[in-house]
Amino acid sequence: MAGVNLSSIVKSYGALQVVHGIDLEVAEKEFVVLVGPSGCGKSTTLRMIAGLEEITAGDLTIDDRRVNRVAPKDRDVAMVFQNYALYPHLNVAENMAFGLRIRKMPKEQIKTTIDDVAEVLGLTPYLQRRPADLSGGQRQRVAMGRAIVRHPKVFLFDEPLSNLDAKLRTQMRAEIKRLHNRLGVTSVYVTHDQVEAMTLADRIVVMNDGAIEQVGTPMELFNHPANTFVAGFLGSPPMNMVPGVLTQTGARLAGVEIGLGAQYHGQAGREVIVGIRPEHVTLTATQDSSPLPIALDLVEPLGSEALLHAHFGAAELVFKAETNGDIAHLSGVSEVHVPAGLVKVFDAATGRALEGQTKAAKEG
Amino acid sequence: MSEHGPTHKSTRHDRWIRLIDHLRADWQIYLMLLPTIVWFLVFLYKPMYGLQIAFKDYSIFKGVANSPWVGLEHFHTLWDNDQFWRAVTNTIKISALNLLFGFPAPIILALMFNEVMNASYKRTAQTIVYLPHFISSVIIAGIVITAFSPTAGIINTLIGWFGLDPIYFLTQPEWFRPIFVGTGIWQEAGFGSIVFLAAIAGVNPSLYESAVVDGANRWQMMWKITIPSILPTILIMLIIRIGNVMEVSFELVILLYQPATYATSDVVNTWVYRQGLQSGQYDLAAAAGLFNAIVAFVLVMSANTLSRRFSRTSLW
Repeated sequence: MAGVNLSSIVKSYGALQVVHGIDLEVAEKEFVVLVGPSGCGKSTTLRMIAGLEEITAGDLTIDDRRVNRVAPKDRDVAMVFQNYALYPHLNVAENMAFGLRIRKMPKEQIKTTIDDVAEVLGLTPYLQRRPADLSGGQRQRVAMGRAIVRHPKVFLFDEPLSNLDAKLRTQMRAEIKRLHNRLGVTSVYVTHDQVEAMTLADRIVVMNDGAIEQVGTPMELFNHPANTFVAGFLGSPPMNMVPGVLTQTGARLAGVEIGLGAQYHGQAGREVIVGIRPEHVTLTATQDSSPLPIALDLVEPLGSEALLHAHFGAAELVFKAETNGDIAHLSGVSEVHVPAGLVKVFDAATGRALEGQTKAAKEG
Repeated sequence: MSEHGPTHKSTRHDRWIRLIDHLRADWQIYLMLLPTIVWFLVFLYKPMYGLQIAFKDYSIFKGVANSPWVGLEHFHTLWDNDQFWRAVTNTIKISALNLLFGFPAPIILALMFNEVMNASYKRTAQTIVYLPHFISSVIIAGIVITAFSPTAGIINTLIGWFGLDPIYFLTQPEWFRPIFVGTGIWQEAGFGSIVFLAAIAGVNPSLYESAVVDGANRWQMMWKITIPSILPTILIMLIIRIGNVMEVSFELVILLYQPATYATSDVVNTWVYRQGLQSGQYDLAAAAGLFNAIVAFVLVMSANTLSRRFSRTSLW
């Protein structure tokens, strides 16, 4: 097993720089998910780790060995591709054996390895089938099997579930998590799906525009986003953002004052963006909550809960509410209650969270 | 039967209605198809009417319809004609050589082009090998005749440098087939490689990336990914090629052959040309042409069936 270390990694295509000097340490056996919107540089970063893209500047080490100039085959990594990359003319067993044959592993050993991995992945009945005769989920398992049989130091996953339907994606997500727990191989996983990132990762790396916005455990990122980008990217529906001005103990949002946590007190007059998670509001007043009047546009029932689409001034907001088996009582909602302790505040100019800055200032 | 009658009728009726609906909805597309259909009717189907002269004692003055039927007489004549069988044998031998050397040539060329990394070198090389395709066969034959000339040809000049006597390539039967097949490869291999290059371009790039991560080198990737991936295209092209086995390039043969090399160069088409147009035996020539077509039809059907059975790839 091995750790992966990226130090000031830069990737440029001619004059165009797409990855701007990122630093990241992936510990041994850790499952790290790179997440971000399309074009943020997450796949390029993964491909640089795999050796499929040349590193323009910086240092990449795998297992404490600098591998910038090392060929992909000698990095001891295995990659699972978005479109599975299965050889259509080979059956499942041959696909899984491909890398082992190239490495001239004895036939008997190849067979034993493939049989073992096929058993783990539930692929034994399909070993003689070609990829065209398999379902999407089975193909994805074969792609993972092909990576597993190599016993690599690092697994690299490039959006492996994005071609699957929602139900299968949920199943495969759980399977990947189980496999990682069982094999304990260092894994770097790229996705644009924040649910995948939250459910799979030991640590999430949120990327935007070729740079890392924040690194942390899923709950750290969810509860303490470093900026409005991270706050808006993680969570479904995303965090509501309302511009406002801080008062002594709260914030004034389009003429309405709401209370905020103590860490934000005493900065009156500062222009901010107030972030309210859809699931944090309540329909009835609680201790420390402030009412926020809304103009309800639409109620979307999801079963046990519903999404309330509403307006507050010019801001479009989405909140979650319990249905208790019926949505009739939600159609008359005209205000929600915002708990002071759960509201996040960001600087209006920089978009950075005030929470960390305030804490640092106090500690300083 | 009576129970099924109306159902069959209504199904057929529905089919017509659907066809008319399609025609109405997509008339622009069908309009674009029309010239091709007309071309097929005029140049390939209408002449089939004339095929009946293969079974008639055809006279220009009596016309196709009024010439008397003679059954299989012309086919018996062909059977007993040594020159016809020589032409059939020559056609098959030249086609076999074409298949053996001419068919793999564009595939090898495409694989080689695929390995060239320098884009400008690749473009230049491709242009050079495509060019002969656009040169008229008459010019090609002229170049070949000049190149193999015993007096001023470059080949004999090179041979002369080694102190050897000039070889009269184009008058010696044993040289006709290699020269003909070689010329065909020079003229068409480059252009033929376009189809295979297109097939190679269609191979999923992540297959190669996956192989690179697995440790495959370029040679292994070519054998284990590129060639198997373009195999369906290779088989389709092979079926088409087999269908044309009896159609050796008529123009090039007639431009390169001469009576001294008939023993190896006279093919069915040139024999038909001499019998039909030069000797006026249109009925016998039509019988030979029909024989040619039937052999080609059987070959293409067999190749298609075999390909479908063994590789799941077929033309239809």
